[in-house]
Amino acid sequence: MSDDRMRVGVDIGGTFTDLALYEPGSGRLWKEKVLTTPDDPSEGVLTGIDLLLSRAGVAPANVGMVIHGTTLVANALIERKGASIALITTRGFRDVLEIGREMRYDTYDLAIEMPPPLVERDLRFEVAERLGPDGCVIEPLSLDSLGEALRIMRDRGIQAVGICLLHSYRNPAHEQAVRDHVRRYLPEAAIAISSEVIAELGEYERTNTTLCNAYVQPLFDRYVGDLEHGIRERGLSGRLYLMLSDGGTMHPEAAQRFPIRLVQSGPAGGVQAAALIGRLLGEDRVLCFDMGGTTAKACLVEDSRPVRTTEFEVARVWRFKKGSGLPLKVPVVNMIEIGAGGGSIAGLDSLGFTQVGPESASSKPGPACYGLGGNRPTVTDADLVLGYLAPDRFLGGDMPLDLEAAERAIMRHVGEPAGLGLAEAAWSIFETVTENMAQAAMIHALEMGKRLSDYTMIAIGGAGPVHALSIARRLGIRRVICPSGAGVASAFGFLTAPISFEFVQSDVCRLSELRFPNVLAALSSLRGQGEALLREAGVGAAETMVECRCAARYAGQGYQVEFEVPLAILEAGRSEELRARFEAAYRASYGRTETSGDIETVTWLLKVRGPDPAFRLPLAEVAGSAEEACTGRRQVYFRETSGSVEVPVYDRYRLGPGSRCMGPAIIEERESTLVLPPGWGLRVDRYNNLIAEPEPQG
Amino acid sequence: MSARLDTVQLGILWRRMCGLMDEVAETFIRTSFSSVVRENGDMAMALMDAQGRQFVQSTRSVPSFIGTMPRTLAAMLAKFPPESLAPGDVLITNDAWLGSGHLNDVTMIRPLFRPRGIIGYVGSVFHTVDIGGAPSPHARDCFEEGMCIPVAKVMEGGRENRLLFDMLAENLREPAETIGDLRAQFAAYDATVERVERLLREEGFETLDEITGEILDRSERSMRAAIERLPDGRYADELLSDGFEEPLRIRAEIEIAGSDIRVDFSGTSPQIEKAVNSVMNFTYAYTAYALKCVLDPATPNNSGSLRPISVTAPEGTIVNATRPAPVWARHLTGHYLPFVVLGALSRIMPDKVIADSGAPGWSVYFKGVEPKTRRRFVRMYFMTGGYGARPGSDGPSCLAFPTNVSNTPVEAFETTTPMLVTRKELIPDSGGAGRQRGGLGQRISFRSESDDPIVMTIRHERVKNPPRGLLGGEPGRPGRDLLNGKVIPAKTIQSLARGDEVTFETPGGGGLFPPETRAPRAVERDLRLGLAGPARAPGRGEGGRRNVG
Repeated sequence: MSDDRMRVGVDIGGTFTDLALYEPGSGRLWKEKVLTTPDDPSEGVLTGIDLLLSRAGVAPANVGMVIHGTTLVANALIERKGASIALITTRGFRDVLEIGREMRYDTYDLAIEMPPPLVERDLRFEVAERLGPDGCVIEPLSLDSLGEALRIMRDRGIQAVGICLLHSYRNPAHEQAVRDHVRRYLPEAAIAISSEVIAELGEYERTNTTLCNAYVQPLFDRYVGDLEHGIRERGLSGRLYLMLSDGGTMHPEAAQRFPIRLVQSGPAGGVQAAALIGRLLGEDRVLCFDMGGTTAKACLVEDSRPVRTTEFEVARVWRFKKGSGLPLKVPVVNMIEIGAGGGSIAGLDSLGFTQVGPESASSKPGPACYGLGGNRPTVTDADLVLGYLAPDRFLGGDMPLDLEAAERAIMRHVGEPAGLGLAEAAWSIFETVTENMAQAAMIHALEMGKRLSDYTMIAIGGAGPVHALSIARRLGIRRVICPSGAGVASAFGFLTAPISFEFVQSDVCRLSELRFPNVLAALSSLRGQGEALLREAGVGAAETMVECRCAARYAGQGYQVEFEVPLAILEAGRSEELRARFEAAYRASYGRTETSGDIETVTWLLKVRGPDPAFRLPLAEVAGSAEEACTGRRQVYFRETSGSVEVPVYDRYRLGPGSRCMGPAIIEERESTLVLPPGWGLRVDRYNNLIAEPEPQG
Repeated sequence: MSARLDTVQLGILWRRMCGLMDEVAETFIRTSFSSVVRENGDMAMALMDAQGRQFVQSTRSVPSFIGTMPRTLAAMLAKFPPESLAPGDVLITNDAWLGSGHLNDVTMIRPLFRPRGIIGYVGSVFHTVDIGGAPSPHARDCFEEGMCIPVAKVMEGGRENRLLFDMLAENLREPAETIGDLRAQFAAYDATVERVERLLREEGFETLDEITGEILDRSERSMRAAIERLPDGRYADELLSDGFEEPLRIRAEIEIAGSDIRVDFSGTSPQIEKAVNSVMNFTYAYTAYALKCVLDPATPNNSGSLRPISVTAPEGTIVNATRPAPVWARHLTGHYLPFVVLGALSRIMPDKVIADSGAPGWSVYFKGVEPKTRRRFVRMYFMTGGYGARPGSDGPSCLAFPTNVSNTPVEAFETTTPMLVTRKELIPDSGGAGRQRGGLGQRISFRSESDDPIVMTIRHERVKNPPRGLLGGEPGRPGRDLLNGKVIPAKTIQSLARGDEVTFETPGGGGLFPPETRAPRAVERDLRLGLAGPARAPGRGEGGRRNVG
């Protein structure tokens, strides 16, 4: 890890592949953006690397690491383009996958659709065996009972098998035996067992997660293989690392076993970037706000660590509604979707109020102003009509926008039916989407017992800076940072992520009955596995760190709060301290503790990690005052000014450190635009970050 | 609408209030001590304005609770008029006639104060698994069914009512769970008070009514527009429930006149001395809910949406039972009501209705002793039948309508209960045939692993009269209950010894439109996946469709 050679970060998005190259010695950073090549994504990556290296004048042999994040896993699930897959589960339970949680996610919609199971019924097989909730064997495993299933799987050319047996999180022996048995018959197939993928209680979610892992594995293997081959062919001497959803990175062999851990790979990089910038600027409480084409996401970062969770939903099937997707249990940065992206479609709801999303025009047909066949108004159309975006400056002018088409769409679907003028209608779209996002971010924070007014926002993603300050105002946030290169923040974030891997182990037990040596034994086995993984990834024993967390609740409750547990507490068997830590976390979340009641530990989380890679933000290379950077003026609408006013437009690339300007103003860069409303001031720091704060009153 | 409150601002405010309600409901669910609330979601939270009009509800809300809450508030205020309330007061009742139809549903409401007085109310309803007594499908009056809390102040000026808590602690089998849930709701109310106050302050309003009036009016207009699109006239439907020795008749006649809709249940069976009687509050709630779903599902539900709807039922029937009728299993009547409403509308809205689902909701109570702690436990397990076929697609398997409660994971259930679930699977061929097929029911078995007896209570419907098909669709498969392989009555209390295995087979949903019109590909797929067989026996069971009017 003390490698001084160059590092390359690569993020494949839906439309663009972003790259960043970093030279630790000098702290220099180069960025590049190329079109994604959907048929063979590794092609775009390799082209990008070539471009980047030649621009920077760096020899391939000088690259020590390539860190890569990809939407491949999420896309394969959304488009259902994974392997032909079968399920093996405990006898009597093959339909759990289809029955799900038996809850309608929309109370009033009679036509709702549930997500189709990843494996259809004719490929869901059962094996005779049964474990009890404490992991003891109630019915011994009979591998013979799989005979017919194995034959069918072979005849049907099954490429992937997910194995999930009841209570296997307490005892993996049966799953392991089934896996070994299946492997003999299907040596080529990707096989995943739930006790390895995620050893957590809850059969439906665990089965789903295990299947998703196996489903994407063959595709992922091929892809990583191609990529590694391409990297070697180009003479890059460095190793490939992959970005996991929880903000850690791993070497390909580990990632290939658990590709589901990459389901949020790209967005995790963005959060990691925000975490780094926060750390370097001395901000210990950061709200990372990432708004792209189809979604906007938010994540809290505390003391440079993104807040994490193991709950995630992917591939929503019914109007993008929460609950209509596949639920996963995976360690991820807790980046919640707070709403719509630039492509989200606006219209009127049945009350006659402006509504935005959840439907999205995505990038095809895209917003009306893209002129690609979309004729319904989107957030981007509203941004254009309000003057926040300029028709001839989008993506540095490479993509002209059709203002008239945006106006037509907005009037037809919002303005006319609601009796609003063009500016008002566009404003209502902007205001609604902003309110929705602020609302969702606030709920998210409050669920964790946090008050966002104490946070600094870091805005990334193409559409992020357009909306950032309006959201910040609603949340009471008093500082917003738009980092340089916000549009390629994920690739940049990859460069800063430590090598790490997290294990999850369910063990429901009352604190009063907790046997510390048993917990320690389980954790040290995970620790051993983790340290081996890190060794493979090139992290030395002296650099390896181990972090342990516990998820617990009051006995009788169903939701846990998480808190850190130094292993020393467990070694000393100090249950009072465990209780105190739990109560502190509970109070932080809910503002109170229960007066009585035993505490129940539910899940242990163990993370092994290497050190944070050394990173310095590059210093700004431009110098220039606001006057020099002003490229013109244009009409822009603000609520505060009760209509359009002429405001100055600045070129971000010419704003040097120390320069300042006042809102209302527009600051343009190639991939995004910062909208500075009246009442806000802006300064540029020595790293070329834009820092916006409300101007003192009077 | 006040002059300064334009459409854009109102829409934003509205969204803020919806978000606020979800946020506090989440607080309740996450700190709840009962699996019925947190895993099954058997609860609701809502905001009402100073006039008692409900205008916001949590997304996760059981339909019946939302319908009854404003009515419960009105009854509470009749006893404790607004001028007798003080900040920090919380009112409570579980009176079946004033609340949500049986003693297990507890309604609490807290007034929201500003300096000039009450500006609104936050309320919640939750299901408590045990409320004392000896509830049974065969109870003869409501006194057998548990403890009734009259309308009372459970909190007075921020202090808990000691007597009431002592009463609960003495009368319930699992008081810690219920009291834990009460306190979780108090915390959620505190959060509501704080957030509403902040919202009003930030937006510069004195009262909620300034905002709600317009919301309710718009919701009403939207509902009226939907009703007006339907032809005026009278439309009726009826069905037979399983009942006890004799089936019970449920009949609805819907009258549409302009933008008003009236539902009358004349012709429904008289109330009986069995626990399946529904009180008017519950009847109203499920009738209004069905109309909302079929007429105007997209508008957020509130009192305004329901203004054009009136519901009447003769007193002394199973849909408007009078005291002291037993009502514990009132959903065995109430959950049928949406189907006669949809059935009556099916001729004029064939592209919107759904066929009968495998409802009334199925569940089982297990009472026993925890082997380790020797404490008594009462567990409730929900299991859904098939959803009725819809005009555009097959009914999903194992999905509830009209109620909406989630299941408990098998692994979670076994961790807390000395029982083993030995199977949980779809029942092939249980969905009613049709152009769109009904959803499949499930077969689930529980085996006792306890040396102490486990007392099981069930109260199931649709074992004689299956979910009906609609507009030419066929009925679903009826449900069935078995103990050690032998069929047992669907409404019974039985004791399970170690090794006894009980199996429940929930009913399949009804089909929609004639089966001959089903797409060959869909037939082939059902066959391949073992969801339905090639030959469909015509009309299973009795109680086929009788369309009247």
